[in-house]
This record gives sequence, structure tokens and C-alpha cells, in this order.
Amino acid sequence: MPIAQLENIHKVYHIGKIDFPALRGISFSIEEGEFLSIAGPSGSGKTTVLNLLGCLDKPSRGKIFLEDRDITALPTSKLADVRRRNIGFVFQTFNLIPVLTAMENVEFPLILEGTHDSKERRRFVEEILTEVGLKDFIHRRPNEMSGGQQQRVAVARALVKKPKLVLADEPTANLDSVTGQEILQIMLELNQKTSTTFVFSTHDKMVMDFARRIIRLRDGKIESDQKVNPK
Amino acid sequence: MKMLLKLAFRNVFRYRRRTIITFSAISYGLGLMALGICLYNGVNTHAMDSIIDNQTAHLKILAPGYFEEKNEVPLEFTIDEPQKIKSLLKDNQDIQGIESRILFQCSIISGMDELPCLGVAIEPEVDPLVFKIKDSITDGRFLESSEPKIILGSSLARDLGLQVGDDIVLRMFLSTEDFIWNALDMEITGIAKTENPTVNRQTVFIPLSLAQEALSLDNRVTELAIRIEDRNQLLDVRNFIQSRLATLDTDYELVSFKDYASDFVELMKMRSRIQVLIPLMMILIASLGIVNTMLMAVLERTREIGMLAAMGMRKMEVMLVFVFEGAIIGLFGSLAACVLGGLGGWYLETKGFSMAFMGKEITDKLLSFLPMEVFYGDLTAGTLLFTLALGIVVSILASLYPAYKAVKLDPIQALRHVG
Repeated sequence: MPIAQLENIHKVYHIGKIDFPALRGISFSIEEGEFLSIAGPSGSGKTTVLNLLGCLDKPSRGKIFLEDRDITALPTSKLADVRRRNIGFVFQTFNLIPVLTAMENVEFPLILEGTHDSKERRRFVEEILTEVGLKDFIHRRPNEMSGGQQQRVAVARALVKKPKLVLADEPTANLDSVTGQEILQIMLELNQKTSTTFVFSTHDKMVMDFARRIIRLRDGKIESDQKVNPK
Repeated sequence: MKMLLKLAFRNVFRYRRRTIITFSAISYGLGLMALGICLYNGVNTHAMDSIIDNQTAHLKILAPGYFEEKNEVPLEFTIDEPQKIKSLLKDNQDIQGIESRILFQCSIISGMDELPCLGVAIEPEVDPLVFKIKDSITDGRFLESSEPKIILGSSLARDLGLQVGDDIVLRMFLSTEDFIWNALDMEITGIAKTENPTVNRQTVFIPLSLAQEALSLDNRVTELAIRIEDRNQLLDVRNFIQSRLATLDTDYELVSFKDYASDFVELMKMRSRIQVLIPLMMILIASLGIVNTMLMAVLERTREIGMLAAMGMRKMEVMLVFVFEGAIIGLFGSLAACVLGGLGGWYLETKGFSMAFMGKEITDKLLSFLPMEVFYGDLTAGTLLFTLALGIVVSILASLYPAYKAVKLDPIQALRHVG
């Protein structure tokens, strides 16, 4: 069973009196454990696809299934619950909470989920921060860390609740190439180790090289959908 | 909830300068409000006490018609049977003392000077049970029964350049219309400086028996002044006296200090309306500070709000973070206001607030309707608790709008926000 499925998705943005079609009937499915890149130039619809998959937005037409659940039929309030339990986000600009330490930032989604006691949460947080190589930085606040370290915290935060799907919107765009590669390597290793499904948007060739499947978008349509072998 | 509180608490100290400004606005605003309430309560209590202790007692029995003409201090309306009334009331334990008195118009002649004043004939042995004139003797001594001696208010003595031991002539008017008067040679035995400037400026005290003789009143008096043990029992005692007076053939009027001090009570009511305005203004200042701070926070943290929403934080939780932030600023601001108000209130309660700095002219004008020269505060735990609660409630209410703005943000737009 696919972890996510998009069926004939259209998305039209209304900007003033102008309708701007961002997606024009795209369909694809994502299997569990995939490491998938949504690629394409600016304005091709990459971020829109991630927003729809992340339950942050609703399509103008078409259906989206997460596992076998039609999320397009859910009210906005329920979408927050779906995000809370099933989806991890990694943002281009890290978006950590500046007043919390690395540990507290990573613990935050677990607290929101509300299913673990503090001891368990602490164990999960320490484990995942060790995985991303930040064991010694757990008490640092974001402004005391480099961009790469912040993005690692963001990756840890996205993965700590063991979500079905991790969505990363251009996760390396604000990092230098070496740090970007390190982040992608960490994401890939976690993908392989935990079978967590990763979907990330990019127009960077280096990022695409890490992907195991690349869906290329152009003008809101799928230009190509190809599996690639690791280099 | 704990996490939301932690987040709110740290966010409060994230923008330190802005928080301090808001915090200061709340603490100064509410601190001044607490001080205002403290002063108002103090003036209310002390001023009324001053009127009761030196002028009106708690209750007065008067001959019918006297009260209406009281400003003329007429001698035509007298009580013919003061002893009988006293004995009728003596079995009430709540009554501390009943004094027969005569109020009369008079003037003091000292050499070439003559000053009009209010004469009060008192029973020297009963007066200390009803009034506090004896306690306010600053020079000399209190009166003794039927001696031809007089006590002068301190300002009056000063204006005439008189002191204890000096002789004066007291011209007592038997009738204001016909200008019939009697004069007594008297020696000043004491100077009274009460809390009440009106008494100090225009009142003299002489023994009752002397006045009755000089004014040809026999055993008659113009009033019976009654002090009760506890002001809260006023209504009960009043009903008791009323019922006893009803057994007499003659009608009498029974008036309380509130009736006597009606001008002052009116002034108090007006002040209490003003007093409502002060907290309202303070609330406005505090609210604007909080609203401004929180709106800035929402604007600056737009992307963070988007991220929180993306992570699945519910709208109510996002809202709570901002409301908690407002409440925390309000709590600390109000605590500081309580400290400021408390210290200021303590100062007002112990040292008082003198109007002297306003200059003699203004002070004299104010003293024509205020029964005290120095205002003392009355600091209560209730005032401080009210200040604390008001600060917190207002801060919470003021942060609701910014919090609402935060949850209305579209997560996608918020995430794209460039701050």
C-alpha cells in the first residue's frame, strides 16, 4: 500500500483577480521508505506539492490519500492532528524555536503528540541527536549553532516522533555545498535505517544525486518520474 | 501546558527592552493607581473620623427645626429636658457617651481686635467620651466644670496672637437678629490643635454651665451629641434612640454625622466617580502597552507561528502561548506595581501627604471644604490584591487580540514571511 497517493491534483491560486494554476492535474504515489526528490525550476509547483502532502493546504481539485485516508475531505482542524502525528517537516531556513535549546526543540513535537512520558521523550531526543551527530550540543540554543548544526537539529526534530513522511523544502538551500551534502547524507542514512519516507523539493543537481526517485515538474505538470540508482 | 508556559516565559525575555518598557508602563500605571486608591481610602476614613471626633460625633439629638437652620447656630431651637433624654438612653451599652452642648455665635475681643467665631459650650467631664478635643490640647490644659475659662482653636489663637493665660472678652450673641449679646471676661486655659482645620480656625470651647447662664438658657441645650462604640452599629443605635425618643411628649430630630457632613459626603461621592476614571486610564495605558508589544511579537514571529502550525500545534495552543506571554508580563508588572504602591502607601500611611507645597492661598481654599490638612493613606491588602488581579486580567484581555491575529495567519503564508 502506498504511503501517499495524489490523484489528478489541481491547485489554483487566486492572486487578486488573476487565477494562477500552480498544479494542473498531477498524479503519483509514494511507497514507504522512498527517498524522493521533487525537482523543477522555480514556479514549477514543487513547494505546492509539499504543502499539499504536508496537509498545510488543500487542492482545488483531486484527491490526496495518506495511507488509505482521504485527507482532502478532512476539515482544517483535523489536518493539524494529521501533521502532528504523521508528518515531519524540514524547512529551508531551519525554523527552530530560538528560545529553546536543541534538546527542547527536538522534544517539542513529542510534547505536542502527548503520547510519551518525559523520561521516554528524553531518551528518544538523545538518541536522535546522537544520530545526527549533535550529542554534545543538546543544551545549545539555535543562535549558538552553525547553519549546518541547526539543520541537523531540524532533521532530528522532524524524525523524533517517527513520522510516516518527512517533507523537506529545499533543505540545503541555505547551506554551503559541503554542509548540504552532510545533511543529505544524514537524511539518507536515517531513511535507510528507519525506513522513513523522505520527500524533498530541490532544483539543485547535487541534492538530486542523493535521491532514489526524482519527479520533475514543469509548469504544474509532471515532466518525468524516474527511479535512479545510487551513485 | 507546561511546555506552552515555558515557551511563553522565554519569549517574554526574548525582546528584553520592549518587555521592560511594557513592564514599566504597567508597574508605574498600576502602582500609581494603588497609591491613588490608598490615598482616597485614607482621606475617606481620616476625614470622616476628623469630622466625627471634632464636630459632629456619631449622632445628634436636636430640637425640631434646628438642623435646617444649623448654619446660623440658632438659640431658638433648644432641648428643654437633656437630662431626661440622657437617662432614657443610658441603658444602651453601644453608646459610649452623650454630651449636652450649646453651639452659639460669638466673637473674641482681645485689645482692639475682634474676631467672630463659633462658640461651643461643653460638659468638660463628659466631652472626652464623645469628642477628642481634650486629646488635641497642645498648650495649657482642658476645661474644668463651670470655671470661667476658655479653650481656643490653634489657628484662632495664632491669628489673635493669644496664648495660655491671656485674658479675653467673649461676646456671646443671644439673638442674631436683634444683636442682643452678653460678654464674659475669660482666661485662656488651653489651645486645641485638632486634625480639623475648621475647628482650629474658628472655634472656642467654654464650660456648659457658664454658657447656659450667660445665654439665659437655664438648663436648656441646643444639642445632645452621642458617640457610639462601633460606627457599624449606627443603624441599630439610631433605631434604639428613635424608639426611646418616641416615648417623649416633645418631638426631636435625630441626625447622624452623615447628615451633618453631607457636603463632604457629596465630595466623597464625586471623588469616587473620579476614582473610577483613574483605574480606567491605567487600564488603557497597560492595555496599549501589552497590545503593542504582543502585536510586534506576532509580526516578528510570523514564520515561527507558521512553523508551529506546520508541526501540528493547534490554534488554541498557539493562542495560549501569546495569552500566557501577556499574562506573564502582566503578573510581573502588577507585582512591581504592588511593591511600588505598597511602599508609597506605607509612606502615606505613616508620614502623610501635606498640601502645604501648594502654597498658602490654594491650601486655604482647599481647607474651606476639606476637614484635614495632612492626608494619610489607608493601605489595605485588598487594594494590593485588586491591583495584582487587575494587572493580570487586563494583560490577558489585551493579549487576546494579538493572539487572535497569530492564529488567523495562514501557515503557508507565515512560513514564507520574511521578517
